[in-house]
Amino acid sequence: MKKDINVSLSLKLTLIVIIVSAITIASIGFVNLYFFNIHYEDIFFENPYYETASSNIQALNAMIGNSTNLNKKNILKNKTNEFLKSIPPDYSDNILKITINLLDENDELIVFFSTDNETIGELSNPYIQETEKDTIACNINALEQDHIYMISEHSEDSHELIMLHPINFTGTIEGTYEIVLSMNDAYLSFEEELESQLKWTVIISTISLFLLIFTFLYLLSRTIVKPIITFRDSAKVIGQGNLDTKVEIKTKDELGELASAFNKMTKDLKESRDKIFEYNKILENLLKQKDEFIGQLGHDLKNPLQPLVGLLPMLVEKEKDPKIKEALQLMNRNAEYMRDLIFKTLQLAKLRSSDVKFDIENINLSKISTGLVESQKLLFKENKIDIKDNISKDIFVKADKLRLAELFYNLTTNAVKYMGESGGKITLDAKKEGGTVTVSVTDTGKGMAKDQLKRVFDEFYRADKFVKLNDSAGLGLSICKRIVEKHGGKIWADSPGVGKGSIFYFTLKSGSEK
Amino acid sequence: MLEVKGMANKIIIVDDDPGIIYTIKNGLESLDSDYEIITAENGKECLDLLEKNQIPDLIILDIMMPVMGGWETFQKIREKLPSEKLPIIFMTARKDHIAKKAGGFLGEDYIEKPFKLPDLKQKIDKILNKRK
Repeated sequence: MKKDINVSLSLKLTLIVIIVSAITIASIGFVNLYFFNIHYEDIFFENPYYETASSNIQALNAMIGNSTNLNKKNILKNKTNEFLKSIPPDYSDNILKITINLLDENDELIVFFSTDNETIGELSNPYIQETEKDTIACNINALEQDHIYMISEHSEDSHELIMLHPINFTGTIEGTYEIVLSMNDAYLSFEEELESQLKWTVIISTISLFLLIFTFLYLLSRTIVKPIITFRDSAKVIGQGNLDTKVEIKTKDELGELASAFNKMTKDLKESRDKIFEYNKILENLLKQKDEFIGQLGHDLKNPLQPLVGLLPMLVEKEKDPKIKEALQLMNRNAEYMRDLIFKTLQLAKLRSSDVKFDIENINLSKISTGLVESQKLLFKENKIDIKDNISKDIFVKADKLRLAELFYNLTTNAVKYMGESGGKITLDAKKEGGTVTVSVTDTGKGMAKDQLKRVFDEFYRADKFVKLNDSAGLGLSICKRIVEKHGGKIWADSPGVGKGSIFYFTLKSGSEK
Repeated sequence: MLEVKGMANKIIIVDDDPGIIYTIKNGLESLDSDYEIITAENGKECLDLLEKNQIPDLIILDIMMPVMGGWETFQKIREKLPSEKLPIIFMTARKDHIAKKAGGFLGEDYIEKPFKLPDLKQKIDKILNKRK
């Protein structure tokens, strides 16, 4: 039943909001309409007098239909008294007034009867004549517009129902029969009911609102938060390197699309990682083969070199002819250079291989530096080098003693090499910062341009192409780099510019003072 | 005890490479006329020389040789003669071979090819002087 209709997330959210709101509003409305539906008017027409009074008036109308004016007056009076007597005493309190008025042909008030004692029988009083005439006119006017019942609310505590009925004998309205009922008791019970209805409305609305919020949050968490948590967990697992992880979100919205894109990305990542692993293996193998080849070649070159290295110095010494002697000297220098080259190449290959082991111990750095200065005294003197060892006696490093000595040797002899014939100054220094010791070898030699600084550690790179071939294999700094990196440190070169000397830095892990 | 006292120091050089034999023999002789150099092409020849009762003051022994290599020769010699009686200097193009078997020849010296002859002479003299 798969449909390729993608419901967007925003649409989903909107739908959720609309549906949940609609259900809530509808449920509140339904409860109010069907259970709490009382109205103010209802209390008037559901009262116990309404039916009685209504039928009474109709009976009266029939009885007085053909009577004379005097008879009418008597009938009305008698019947009204009968009516009043027929009302049970506990109801009669609610009947405030029954008034009957009747006009003759000349619109003169001929009958005026009211249970309101103050105004009964005062027909000669011009004030009553006037006001009652107004009332009758008003009543007749209301009746002509079919307002049989009038609800009057005098004040907050006084609610009355006025029931009017026309009295007519000849087809035209001649008077009115009016019953005024007190609705106060009914209104009180209405108010009570209204109050409880309001209370329940508030309670139900609040509950519905909470249900709305919880439903919304639940749906929100189901559609958005849950998938995001799934993403987070998957991303964590993938971050740990497990690329077989899949995000299991199958919804047809943006999150579903995101999940499938995410899964595709993971799959691609896995494929490329596997490929890299594969290539890496091949590369490692090739590198291993290369190192093995270099090793084999290097060792095989050693034997044939032995006669050259062994015999040429002897020949140089014994030769008397200066021209041949010079040629022999050149050959000897080249044999020496080849020897150096082979040793250093093999050393580099060995440092590169994974099975090289360093004997790491706690070393006083100044012991190594002073040892170097002492052992190379002659070299410095011959090259007019003023060497200054500023390394403090309280600096300890974690290093392989022999390799560290070699590091110092390579860096200082390298500095000597680029110093020029007039000599110069080499300064050794070290600084401890946190768990790291930074050693610097500063010289006043030829210096370097910026582009040379990085390449200086490349194999077979020489900063100065005119440095005599047999002076260096161009591998000393590469060996330094290997040694430092195998110690977990960094090595770099700095120079203020060509002709301004250079500084070589390397870092080592700080050791403990003893 | 030692008849060689005052006489030339007898040294056996064992190597399958004639170039190396030539270099060391001529080089050492030109550096010091006090050496009497005997040469052998492999370990077996060296052991034959020892059998003929020609016990030298020192053996310079190559490791990689045909017929009988340096390690085997070394072990056969040490079965009969300890280091104090007949010191050996190993000669190798592969320092790692020495390092790997370090446990087997503790106390013996070695020199890595290609070496400078004065360096070899220094080692020889040091060993010979110690024996006196």
